[in-house]
Amino acid sequence: MNDSFKPKIIYFLCSWCGTGGSETASAFGLHYPENVLPFRVNCTGSLSTVYILRAFLEGADGVVISGCHPGDCHYNNGNFRARRRVAIIKSILDTLGLEPERIWFRYVAHGEGKRFVDTAAEFNDYIKKLGPNPLKTRRDI
Amino acid sequence: MSKTLYIDENVNDGIKKFLRCILENGKVKGVLTLINEGEKIAYSLISNPELIKYTVPLYPIMPLNAARSLSHITLSEPISEPIAVVIKPCEIRAFIELVKRSQGSVENIFFISFTCGGVYPIKMNVNGKINEKIDNFWRLIEKNEIDADLRASCKVCKEFIPYNTDMTIFLAGNKEINNQCRIFLNTDRAEDFAESTDGNIVQDKINTELIDELKVKRLEERKKLFEDKKIEKLGLEGLIDIFGRCISCHACGNACPICYCSLCYFDSQESEYKPVDYESELEKRGAIRVPPNTVTYQVGRLIHVGISCVGCGCCEDVCPSEIQLSTIFIKGSESIQEKFNYIPGKNPEELIPISTFDIKEFPEVET
Amino acid sequence: MRGAIFKIEKDFDKEIRNFLKKTIVKKFFGAILIPCKVPANDSYAYLLIRDEALIEKASILPPVMPIQGGRVLKSFTRLGKIDAKVAVIMRPCEIRASIELSKLEQVDLTNVTLISVDCPGVIPLSDYLEDPVKGTDTFKEAFKTWESDSVRELCKVCYNFTLTGSDLHIGILGSEQGNLFLIPVSEKGRNLLDFFNINYENDISSWENIVKKKEDERKIKRKEFRENLRQEIEGIDNLLKTFSDCLNCHNCMRVCPICYCRQCFFDSDALNLPSTNYIKRAENRGSIKFPPETLLFHLGRMSHMITSCVSCGSCEDACPVSLPISRVFSFVAENVQNLFNYVPGMSVKDPVPTITYEEEELKEFENPYIETYNIQRM
Repeated sequence: MNDSFKPKIIYFLCSWCGTGGSETASAFGLHYPENVLPFRVNCTGSLSTVYILRAFLEGADGVVISGCHPGDCHYNNGNFRARRRVAIIKSILDTLGLEPERIWFRYVAHGEGKRFVDTAAEFNDYIKKLGPNPLKTRRDI
Repeated sequence: MSKTLYIDENVNDGIKKFLRCILENGKVKGVLTLINEGEKIAYSLISNPELIKYTVPLYPIMPLNAARSLSHITLSEPISEPIAVVIKPCEIRAFIELVKRSQGSVENIFFISFTCGGVYPIKMNVNGKINEKIDNFWRLIEKNEIDADLRASCKVCKEFIPYNTDMTIFLAGNKEINNQCRIFLNTDRAEDFAESTDGNIVQDKINTELIDELKVKRLEERKKLFEDKKIEKLGLEGLIDIFGRCISCHACGNACPICYCSLCYFDSQESEYKPVDYESELEKRGAIRVPPNTVTYQVGRLIHVGISCVGCGCCEDVCPSEIQLSTIFIKGSESIQEKFNYIPGKNPEELIPISTFDIKEFPEVET
Repeated sequence: MRGAIFKIEKDFDKEIRNFLKKTIVKKFFGAILIPCKVPANDSYAYLLIRDEALIEKASILPPVMPIQGGRVLKSFTRLGKIDAKVAVIMRPCEIRASIELSKLEQVDLTNVTLISVDCPGVIPLSDYLEDPVKGTDTFKEAFKTWESDSVRELCKVCYNFTLTGSDLHIGILGSEQGNLFLIPVSEKGRNLLDFFNINYENDISSWENIVKKKEDERKIKRKEFRENLRQEIEGIDNLLKTFSDCLNCHNCMRVCPICYCRQCFFDSDALNLPSTNYIKRAENRGSIKFPPETLLFHLGRMSHMITSCVSCGSCEDACPVSLPISRVFSFVAENVQNLFNYVPGMSVKDPVPTITYEEEELKEFENPYIETYNIQRM
């Protein structure tokens, strides 16, 4: 593992559960790696596939998406729709040979501060093992 | 008399040397020019001086009018640190027209252009035919002749001397391109940049004889083209014949540097046919083409952009139906521009004729 | 399957035209949407016809597909149905696109009877325009053999060339034996045949057998095509090379029947970034290509419409720099659509995967949580 490599990780959190998880984490004083950049979206179901792709193509080393657990979505089914979109993107990237494993999808509930922090840390370690996103330095993109 | 920078190389290597110099000594942050890394040629914004050796600034190819890219970068805010751009005269003119329409800003852009010998259709870059042609192209420049395979719009272009540039490279109309790189310095900024490089700056007289000769040749081609296509006698029937194969993809508008609207009127809800429109057309004519309004779109677009059309020929290059659009647009815009005595992109201070008026003009259009 | 068998004298084209003429004269249909030659005789365009005399100029199977039929039908019915009943004669992929669009609420099929025809493929537009007369001959050749090399790349490996979600299907495969097959699929189709007292209870296994044989042949070809294409485009280097010529003209999106948005995300202001962003990116990478974000455009568009991609090949036809877009899209579409067991345009009933969901599915795309992760780490 290359210790000097600090991956840039984009963490999309839905505003009801994922963000809530990060708030709970802060209430308990839990820490997550500072190179994980959280982004709040209204609902993971409202997150367009283009933004995930854009983060990925412009050189983010990894993208995580966290919404509510099944059945908990504030808008009833946003998380199920998000899962379909993530499936579509990962399937596209897989078909084209573009490392779909750099995108993660995991449910985090409002009260699960530890789960949020663990996910950030686990993904960070995982990406460190994978190495930097090769698209980061491409000039012809 | 004007100040001229001489670099002791052929014209291609000379300009590359100059670009590398200004990038290395920090005069500019980046250079936008054509680059040939691998097989294909594309515009690129370069900030690493090592990459300058791959550039082909004077290559006779225009993938997409660079004015579109410049407007894309500078639309939300002007560029904060200086960059140099090496683009063709019509691209600068188109960009000036866009700036007049508040679609960009010239701030901090250092314009380098050249007396342009024309470009080849983009298809020749794709199928690699350009590699066979390129040596011949430089030879024809030296001979001051026009290649028959150039874009139709380039063969008949009469505005191949750039306006509003900081530097003008002497390419077309120069017999010595293989031994010398002559760059005219038009602004103080250009002189400052030139002094920071190791070329010779001299007071020089421009010999315009060959340029005038080329212009005459191009004007002859122009006359011939319009006569061949019988463009003045088209009428509605002729237009229907030409545009009948149009597939309404509106690619021409998308590629046109002047068509800047993010939603074209002809794509908008206003121009959409409602069921009752179809019904009444059916009653009236017995049949109607779907989607309707092919000729209306083309003529409508000509009316919208005609005043600023720079005749770059990008519309024809991207047309999947291979309609000879540039001929019609060059002729149509010429007649509009003549009415107002306006050359698009020549003078940045001059207002676009359609955004201004004179109280006492055009009495002949009043009835 | 059951259908009507027509004995035909000379060419099927004339036979069908006569039938269509009858439907207009008898006022069963108020209008017919069908491809016709343009006045200059160098291309084809869809014409909505009420005057039965004009049907004479129509062409059931034109050699080219300048505008995808789905787009035509969208332009015609997006704002609602017209009062008259309309018959639409299209190729199977055009029918499928129309059905996808109707599910996306861009096409109103209420008064429309979709009539599909067995399709031998189409000639690429640029090849045809080079010499329309020669193009027509090439197509005639393709029509005879059904295995021509001069048709669109995707047509060569298309196995959805026949019966799809249409109301009435015209089987012309095997028409050399003097038979033409009319196969009603839905209530609308049966109504039409009932109106003209056509018996559609005949056995059409001769047609079915030929179709089956061709389908199997094409499926084998398709497998081969997928394997070759995979080697050509897989991986970052290959993919970027494939798309390196892109001019960002968005023509592929303009002609795509499924891309129905009036204003595409990639044409909107969302990607008008401040100039500093571009300069910064150029500094980070040494240089950036202009126009920027071409790969983002293709992958983004792909992620938006791929579940409904009908593999018609219109995008590749319209590309000014001849990128293999349609092949890449069709290749990816097959994988994504398999994920949802979805074949676009086969039926009005199955919803488009992106607008629906199931609670228990796609578990393999979730990343399960390991409770003890941090404890293990310490």
